[in-house]
Amino acid sequence: MSLLTLTVNGAEVSREADDSTLLVEFLREHLGLTGSHVGCDTTQCGCCVVHIDGVSAKSCTVLAAQAGARKVTTIEGLAGGDALHPVQRAFREHHGLQCGFCTPGMIMAAAELIATYDGKLDEHAVREEMEGNLCRCTGYHNIVRAILAAAEEINGPDRVVRPASGHAPGHAPVEETA
Amino acid sequence: MTPSLHFRSVGQPVRRNEDERLITGKGRFTDDFSLPGQAWGVMVRSPYPHALIQGIDVSAALEAEGVLGVYTGADLAADGIGEIPHNPVPSTQFDLKLTGRGGTPVYIGEHYLLPQDRVRHVGEAVAMVVAETRQLAQTAAELVMVDYEALPFVTDTSAAAEPDAPRLWDALPDNVLVDSWHGDRENTEAAFARAAHVISMRYHLHRVTGVPLEPRASLGHFDVETGRYTLWAGSGGAVRQKQELAKVLGIEPARVRVISLDVGGNFGTRNRAFVEFGLVMYASKKLGRPVKFRADRSEAFLTDYQGRDLVVEVALALDADGKFLALRSDNLSNIGSRCVSLSPLSKGSGLITGSYDIPYATLRSRAVYSNTMSTQAYRSSGRPEVTFAIERLVDKAARALGYDRLELRRRNLVRPEQMPYVNAVGSQYDSGEYEKNMDRVLELADFAGSAARKAEALARGKLYGVGFSNYVESSIGTPKERADLIVRPEGVEVVIGTQPAGQGHETSFAQVTADLLGVPFETVKITLGDTDVVTAGGGTHSGRSMRHASAVIFLATADLVEKGKALAGEKLGVAPAAVEFADGVFRTADTNITLDWFDLARIAAERGETLMVRRDNEMHTPVFPNGACVCEIEIDPDTGGLEIKRYTTVDDVGRCINPMIVHGQTHGGIAQGVGQALWEGCVIDPETGQPLAAAFTEYGMPRFDNLPSFVTEIAEVISPTNPLGVKAGGEGGTTPAPAVITSALEDALAEFGPPDISMPFNPFKIWSAIQTGRKAAKLERAA
Amino acid sequence: MYPFAYHRPRTLAEARNLFQGGADATFLSGGHTLLPALKQRLAAPSDLIDLTGVPEMRGLSREGSTLRIGAAMTHAEVAASPVVREAIPALAGLAGSIADRHVRHRGTIGGSTANNDPAADYPSAVLGLGATVVTDRREIPADDFFTGLYETAREPGEILIRIDFPIPDSAAYAKFRSPASRFPIVGVFVSRAGGRARVAVTGAGASGVFRPAAFEAALSADFRPDAIADLAVAPGDLLSDLNGSGEYRAHLIKILCARAVARPGEIQSFK
Repeated sequence: MSLLTLTVNGAEVSREADDSTLLVEFLREHLGLTGSHVGCDTTQCGCCVVHIDGVSAKSCTVLAAQAGARKVTTIEGLAGGDALHPVQRAFREHHGLQCGFCTPGMIMAAAELIATYDGKLDEHAVREEMEGNLCRCTGYHNIVRAILAAAEEINGPDRVVRPASGHAPGHAPVEETA
Repeated sequence: MTPSLHFRSVGQPVRRNEDERLITGKGRFTDDFSLPGQAWGVMVRSPYPHALIQGIDVSAALEAEGVLGVYTGADLAADGIGEIPHNPVPSTQFDLKLTGRGGTPVYIGEHYLLPQDRVRHVGEAVAMVVAETRQLAQTAAELVMVDYEALPFVTDTSAAAEPDAPRLWDALPDNVLVDSWHGDRENTEAAFARAAHVISMRYHLHRVTGVPLEPRASLGHFDVETGRYTLWAGSGGAVRQKQELAKVLGIEPARVRVISLDVGGNFGTRNRAFVEFGLVMYASKKLGRPVKFRADRSEAFLTDYQGRDLVVEVALALDADGKFLALRSDNLSNIGSRCVSLSPLSKGSGLITGSYDIPYATLRSRAVYSNTMSTQAYRSSGRPEVTFAIERLVDKAARALGYDRLELRRRNLVRPEQMPYVNAVGSQYDSGEYEKNMDRVLELADFAGSAARKAEALARGKLYGVGFSNYVESSIGTPKERADLIVRPEGVEVVIGTQPAGQGHETSFAQVTADLLGVPFETVKITLGDTDVVTAGGGTHSGRSMRHASAVIFLATADLVEKGKALAGEKLGVAPAAVEFADGVFRTADTNITLDWFDLARIAAERGETLMVRRDNEMHTPVFPNGACVCEIEIDPDTGGLEIKRYTTVDDVGRCINPMIVHGQTHGGIAQGVGQALWEGCVIDPETGQPLAAAFTEYGMPRFDNLPSFVTEIAEVISPTNPLGVKAGGEGGTTPAPAVITSALEDALAEFGPPDISMPFNPFKIWSAIQTGRKAAKLERAA
Repeated sequence: MYPFAYHRPRTLAEARNLFQGGADATFLSGGHTLLPALKQRLAAPSDLIDLTGVPEMRGLSREGSTLRIGAAMTHAEVAASPVVREAIPALAGLAGSIADRHVRHRGTIGGSTANNDPAADYPSAVLGLGATVVTDRREIPADDFFTGLYETAREPGEILIRIDFPIPDSAAYAKFRSPASRFPIVGVFVSRAGGRARVAVTGAGASGVFRPAAFEAALSADFRPDAIADLAVAPGDLLSDLNGSGEYRAHLIKILCARAVARPGEIQSFK
């Protein structure tokens, strides 16, 4: 047991916990922040993604102790105050979630991707860079659109190429202009 | 009074009510709940596929640090804990009647929470250890000593059906629990006898598993003061699980409360109770503390209820003009070590003729036990299997007889004027425009341009294939549903017994209610998943939810309007019959006073009453969503790597309540069907009976980078079978997917003849097929 | 996981002392190999010694014709480094192709090299470039470092500090990934320096990463994709599993080697 001190969502927290406590366990069970989820045992599904010093990481494969004295941001802390982060809004607008279990990790991954990607984000880049997050419900189609829409809002249209064709959330297929 | 269908919200891509909590990390999944003093349960699982349990020594485990209790089948039996009443034989009026051999009842292997006699599949739980922490329980579980005596085992579907296969249940002479015949044998045989051509094939649609991203979990709490159990557990129907678990525990259902709030994906895997649900409830009573269980992903891979696993031998008789005359099919379903559900076999059986007008058919439906995890309905239960069989058969016939594969289909499609169409095994297709779907999907997919795209790929040294599949599928589901429609001054609440896991019921049901009542969408709230509030309901499966929910809400609305008229009449001083209701407003002809629902709710409240109705409905009539799809794939012959370049679908879902949600369902359904074709498989080592794919490192999944964007279009042929004309939109994406991918692969490898490989078509298998094909082609040239 | 004590030393000496003092201590770097193993309860070390705070383990520099990369540099850092991109772009490309971006933010070159997973990417670069593994005790040439499946010449308690890469004239990496694990079924790293070619294959060897001598000889004489057309690696020496037979892997080795030779300076990742 050790006293673990981290900054989580802007607040310093200290808890007694076993050294073997994973960061995701620390967040969920010690801090009651149940937004980050555990979906697998092999560091593949991405449901647990958080930010450590602004960089995305799978919190199921980081010890809470490794994040000591670091700044951790979880889904609960992504938006400031009452407003939603543009990625959160885009996920809702573009139906980028169904059951919602992968969603916190997905949003955290997308937010960090948009903040750090060097160059123009297009569908191909999103699909490659988001490989570390699994979704079983959506088939990824709408998540790609949500991420590109949020990227355009955050970084401006010059840094994004929107999908060439696909569906507006109506009946007939619509040619989306870039 | 028949509510008028004046749609403002229905048909619109309304953004979801569910999302706010889910995008901010405030979802309420089972593992998010914790209770003070809770202890953790961990299961001890069998490493053998089949073994006698000679004894279980828990003494070392009991002494381990932090252990509060260790439970075995003997403990449960001594406390009178019973079997889970899975009730696996589908029994609505329109389900195909499955029986044992010679019409005998189906023998259902009993499913106790923990077995006493033997283990029948790798991973079967034989004991539960409860300790202060999950880590301590895991350590103690390693100390439980089980004395197994290994028995011969069988895992392969066909092998399990052999008369001399190792037997799982003493009560049966072999492992075959269902063996029934359907259709018209005499006329089928006559048609085959006079047929100009007979084309036959044999397939094994292999086993996959649902992989909902939320691993299953359960938290049980027994309240000594009230004598009631509360179970938090993501499920496919909290009401059903409450009834079943009450029976397991031998108590009145009123003493059980099941809470399934946010559920992280279902797809069928959660439609039956898991043993841990009963075990945490049992242990919480024994220990006087809440007990929690959470499956590892590897446990989920091994012991979630699994899907598919059907061996089909099918034959099609055609006349000299390519008209389908009859179909023969022998379907063998591997239901695993216990019979938990016969839905896949039954539902598939009703659809063996697919979208085609085949006058006669004979079907032998069999189900077999094997030393594998139990199978159950999984996304489009039973329909991808039979769609695969008929669509592959039609392609084979086209190739063998020199027909264009689309022309041969057109010649034989069920026509709109034949609707309602009773197929050769008695399923009554309610409505659909199958050729229109074909025309539209070919247009949408730019099928005409595919030859050019193929040529361009070939010029780059790649192989290229275009696949096509029609489909028709069925939505039946538990026939009963209940809605409480409650109007309060602050808004409308609908309590209903479906169980969403991502389908958006809180939004789409609110759309239906808002339009039927004539209130703004924002004023309607949907309540689900807590059996203390939800008193009855059928859960969510088989595409039943919108159809049943909209029907019962429609009927409840009519009842509520009558109540509303009575209240309004009293207020306005007229007889109820003089009150008119339209667009959410009650009025009489001779005044201009209007009352809306919330006015009436206030009037009721002033009297200490609540304006509400409870309505039950029972519908047995199935509906038949249908459609068509096209896909294009590119293969690198040097590696066997396959990329899907285009994937296009048209899906007739009947009335579409929320197209955004329906498109999302189609996308996800496509991914699951394609997953089966290309990456997914519950592989078992035949020598050892050990499952080999128990992690994402071994079980390939649809991912961002192996799927394309889709082009999906909704067709709405209103169904005459229910008030809103709904069919279902949740499973049509999956149904034709294995068939269309295989169709594309065969097209890509056409120069080598149809490849003799089975799904999943991983790069190694594709490359091997190309090598084999090239060698054969060389030999042919040399000859 | 079984319980353990966690330490984060700030010096090498402290790390060494902690190792000596622990009943059964093990080193931790990025943790993306060790922690998954511990979560599966495959090992029960008494102490985890996190090396990422030791200054010698960090840092990345070019000194003349050598690229020195600290063992605790993450895959993302190596991939993004302008120094690496300029000196050995294929190495940056390989680092950027490992697993997914979240794993790349934590996993380290030292951790990957010390683990020698038969399907990891880095061993093929370390061996394919003829790098030197620098520990706190000695310098080990790559050819002597990788000794078998998950085995290296590193002794218990020996700390991998840095890997020194001689900068080649050109290098390239081509891999074909498993649809499930996303690890390479086969990965081929090819480098060329002073007229000599080195080829290192990962994902395929029954004893881990290896150099096919015949391929190197042919490419040293004639650095073109066709130069290996008539050569083959014996399938019997290769892994055979659900991802592919020995024959398949042997075939992929040729294909990927040729593709790497055809595109010097590049990373090509196929699936």
